[in-house]
Amino acid sequence: MATLIQRLDAFGRLAENVALVGLLSGMMLLAVGQIVLREFFNTGFVWADELIKLMVLWLAMVGSIAAGRDNRHIRIDLLSHVLPDRLVRVSRVLVDLFAAVVCGVIAWHAWRYLQLEIEFEDTVLIDTPAWIAHSIMPLAFMLLAYRFVVSSLSLLTAQRRPGGETAA
Amino acid sequence: MIALSLVLLLLAILGAPLFAIIASSAMLGFYREETDLMNMALEVQSIADLPFLAAIPLFTFAGYVLSESNAPQRLVRVTNALLGWMPGGLALVCLAACAFFTAFTGASGVTIIALGAILYPALKQDGYDDKFNLGLVTSSGSLGLLFAPSLPLILYGVVAEVPIDSLFLAGVLPGLLMLAMLSGWSFWVNRDNRKPLADFSLREVGAALREAIWELPLPFVVLGGIYSGFFAVSEAAAITALYVLIVEVFILREIPLKALPNVMRQSMVLVGGILIILGVSLASTNYMIGAGVPQLLFEYMQGLVSSPVMFLILLLVFLLILGAILDIFSAIVLVVPLILPIAAGYEIHPVHLGIVFLAAMQLGYLTPPVGLNLFIASYRFEKPIMHVYAATLPFLLILFLSVIVITFWPQLSLWLVPGT
Repeated sequence: MATLIQRLDAFGRLAENVALVGLLSGMMLLAVGQIVLREFFNTGFVWADELIKLMVLWLAMVGSIAAGRDNRHIRIDLLSHVLPDRLVRVSRVLVDLFAAVVCGVIAWHAWRYLQLEIEFEDTVLIDTPAWIAHSIMPLAFMLLAYRFVVSSLSLLTAQRRPGGETAA
Repeated sequence: MIALSLVLLLLAILGAPLFAIIASSAMLGFYREETDLMNMALEVQSIADLPFLAAIPLFTFAGYVLSESNAPQRLVRVTNALLGWMPGGLALVCLAACAFFTAFTGASGVTIIALGAILYPALKQDGYDDKFNLGLVTSSGSLGLLFAPSLPLILYGVVAEVPIDSLFLAGVLPGLLMLAMLSGWSFWVNRDNRKPLADFSLREVGAALREAIWELPLPFVVLGGIYSGFFAVSEAAAITALYVLIVEVFILREIPLKALPNVMRQSMVLVGGILIILGVSLASTNYMIGAGVPQLLFEYMQGLVSSPVMFLILLLVFLLILGAILDIFSAIVLVVPLILPIAAGYEIHPVHLGIVFLAAMQLGYLTPPVGLNLFIASYRFEKPIMHVYAATLPFLLILFLSVIVITFWPQLSLWLVPGT
């Protein structure tokens, strides 16, 4: 069981890295390529600008998934320097569960919207189905919800450990 | 409704991810107005409709690559060769190098880690007082915020729909004012330790420049390209990112190819954290504008204050409190859409408002309880946080003075901007 979760974890991290490397490299090459085409050949791809903007969306969402895993989402860090360790952890369990619920709700509605897009055959990038470009939305928020549940649970179990070792 | 808002506020203070707080308050609003919650997804996804936003991931990545390479050492050497001959030169070197580096890397605390680690021991060795050094390095960590192409400037431009090149021009003089005032203070404090580092040596300047030959074109490409109107800011960002990647990874080989995915991940984690807040804020902003909140705020404010000066005073107080609890990126996406129409009512130019906003938020990096620089410095230099607070206080006061000047002297911001 533990090894399965570990392998899943390693796979998730790898998948995020592959996506981020691909998106970022692709965006750099496409944007620079577009400048070269414009300045030297007086031409360019009509879809390039829109694709770059969609890549920004994907980078933002995959980046947020990764931020969830690395516990790097921006929080108001008011109390962690003042409160005792134990209380900080209790409040973290609470707020991460809250975040999980919020992400779950957004994921559900993003999923509903995606189905509408399929139904109405919306398109982006000239003739690509829009739902492909926007599929990252329910996926990202679902993964974020999962991540916050996991983080909350792991804090809870760490809490019960005798001696109260601090989780890294 | 008020009870629910209070619960959200409490959750925020307890440390809930900020995007979840903003998203839930927007969804509560949608729910009350009987708007379909699908709009939430729609708003976040409209990140893809914003112009120039590609500049943010690209510049952030470039900044991370630069700080992982030996570019910080080379930057310090060049600045040292150029400025180190002056009395109290090293303090000046610290301020100038940090400002330059922060402008290129966005103010995310990397400056203190990348440059502070070199400058802090060097200052000590040169006989400066430890408390002064700590304060100097800590406050320098966010100094270049007003210089192009810093991330907060770009984000403000995107959110406020103000031309980014105007903001880049507007930040120059206020940024220089901050630099000059801090330099003046450093000279004054160290008036008894005025030995120059070394004589000015043309040979050392040449050697330092030769060593930094690959990074030298960067400021010219970025700033020249943007200021001349040759590139859009997102194009300059793409060129910078690709160029830096090729130089540091393939030519100088200071970052092994194997480490590159992790550098990309680190930088995109930061970007993801900022942009998801931007996305959910688009929803909350739209809800609030639909509900007429800015209008209500403006009417309320008009009953309270009539003169622009009075408004600026209130704005400044508000921003200082805001900066003490909220990071600069969240503050921009959350608050700017609300105060922009109000400021327009008092005939405050949106470019000037942007510079005031960022300058005031810069103080937030240094103010308790959540000042990011304080914690990074405390962690990095292994000093108790109270010690860092105390060491930074004089610098904070100087910066506060400069923010007052910037706020009440709009011409300083607008002088270089054409058509204002």
